[in-house]
Amino acid sequence: MIESLLDNNMNWASARVRADPKYFQRLSAQQSPEYLWIGCSDSRVPANEIVGLDPGELFVHRNVANLAPPRDVNFLSVLQYSTEILKVRHVIVCGHYGCGGVRSAIDTKRLGLIDHWLQPISDMAHRHKSHLHAITDFDTRVNVMCELNVRAQVEYIGRNPFVTDAWRKGQSLAIHGWIYSIRDGLLRNLDLTIKRPKEVDALSARPWFAND
Amino acid sequence: MERDYRDGAIEAMPTELLREPLVWFFAEHYRHRSVCKRLRELAKTVAFDEDALRDVLRFLDSDLPLHIIDEEDDLFPLLRRRCEADDQIEKVLGMLSGEHASDLHDASAVKSLIVLALNDHRGPAGYAEAPQIIPPFCRSQERHIAVENAVVLPIARARLSETDLRSLGRRLAARRGLPDPFAEAS
Repeated sequence: MIESLLDNNMNWASARVRADPKYFQRLSAQQSPEYLWIGCSDSRVPANEIVGLDPGELFVHRNVANLAPPRDVNFLSVLQYSTEILKVRHVIVCGHYGCGGVRSAIDTKRLGLIDHWLQPISDMAHRHKSHLHAITDFDTRVNVMCELNVRAQVEYIGRNPFVTDAWRKGQSLAIHGWIYSIRDGLLRNLDLTIKRPKEVDALSARPWFAND
Repeated sequence: MERDYRDGAIEAMPTELLREPLVWFFAEHYRHRSVCKRLRELAKTVAFDEDALRDVLRFLDSDLPLHIIDEEDDLFPLLRRRCEADDQIEKVLGMLSGEHASDLHDASAVKSLIVLALNDHRGPAGYAEAPQIIPPFCRSQERHIAVENAVVLPIARARLSETDLRSLGRRLAARRGLPDPFAEAS
């Protein structure tokens, strides 16, 4: 069965070359993506595909629940490399409705090591528990948390020293928060875009819930 | 994508309404009511009406799940982001979301009954379980729609911006594989 993946790859590469004989030559010569994508590891959210970009056009970092943890060396390396070396112009944090990571974070069931990874989401849910408990339907509560999680990551990134350094140097860099629905394949812009430090402050000052 | 519904049966949605998404929702709700009316009629007859049964089945199979996604993954999250505390929207949305979850479950019981009727070439009234399945489903749908029309859509009208409505209309179309309703105008 695993062999079929190698066969698929052979077919894919061959089809690419048939369509564009210089495709891989061009691709191997340089990488200059304009976008950094921070998304969930969920296999149903294929970053390049849903935004219609080819290899080479999107620098991708994925982890469970699309987190941007300020002490995760993997994430920080990706952020530094993409902003300082590749000079991406947009960072997109993309969550998705029904995220299993977010669901686990607000559920009481213990899963193991992953609970520690998801702790920031559990903490956030705890901070907003009175609002969240007003949402009677659990699936809806998960979806609201998926959106709040995107917002929290946009704020973290907006305050990250690599990003503030880039802004101080006059580099054009925007952070966006989007959410995807696996049920229809569509992205929603959560209107969280920040392009300068003042906008991070404005976002932080924005209420999380209507009755905050 | 225009569907071929019989005259007097469940009407197709006019795609130009995608440019006015809240009107689209009202029209969808009107269709839901038509489906309920038709279902109630079907529940009373043992006569086999294949076209009517297939119309309802098609609606429950594809239109209803799409409409639930329209609301659950689009309109309701948008309202949660745009509404103000005084709107007290969460209580209503929470209740409606809970009902959406049970809608699909209840619809599957109705679908099973219709499939059975189609296979047996009989009207649904020929089955003892029909009175326990169809009328409660219709009552719950009609009550749900009444709340959405009376509370949710008027608030949406007040709170959603032109940009919100435009992107909502584009997503309603995309979800159905239809072209961008604003493409010619832009």
